[in-house]
Amino acid sequence: MVENELAASIRSDDPAVGLRAVGALQRLAEQVEARYVALARAQGWSWEQIGDALGVSRQSVHAKHGK
Amino acid sequence: MFERFDDARQWVLSAAEQEARRRGDRRLGTDHLLLAMFHDPKELAAQTLGIDLETARTAAEALDRAALSAVGIHLGDQGLAPPVGARRRLAWTSGARAVLVLSVAEARRTKSRRISARHVLLALLTLRRPDPAGQLLEALGVDAGQARAGLLP
Repeated sequence: MVENELAASIRSDDPAVGLRAVGALQRLAEQVEARYVALARAQGWSWEQIGDALGVSRQSVHAKHGK
Repeated sequence: MFERFDDARQWVLSAAEQEARRRGDRRLGTDHLLLAMFHDPKELAAQTLGIDLETARTAAEALDRAALSAVGIHLGDQGLAPPVGARRRLAWTSGARAVLVLSVAEARRTKSRRISARHVLLALLTLRRPDPAGQLLEALGVDAGQARAGLLP
């Protein structure tokens, strides 16, 4: 199915569509977060600074992204 | 339940995990099982449905983009899949677990001792939206009833 055709057949008042969008957004957020946490680390940010920027604790950001 | 599978056990489970991780999902769902069917070395799903893995993956991503558009978020060339660590085994969604139970029922119906890729595919073809595999089959334009008939002896 062509993408435009698909978009036209998808309605925003369908919960299956809205919930699918939420899942996609979460994956997108993870992707953006991973990219910029890595960049911040490369530029010398501390885990504490990154945690503050993300609004989470230093421990949780380190547990998630630290190697 | 896995011990009742034939050689499909080796590739279905690892392919489904691979598809889930590729998409950045934390749980293994029916849509990943459906995508896994296109990893079949014997190409049962590809030949029955006339679809290859790349087409199926593209359709799944198009569904995501269309869903985001529907809620007002328009992505450019931005990919959707985050890098995924190969950590512990993924948990299965309740729908994916139900597919295993359905596969056992399909094997019993066709009087097979072992559960094969054919039975898993037959089970997946019973799914309808809002199930994720049902949505993907619909987006791929699969006539599930006809495909099932072609798979039954």
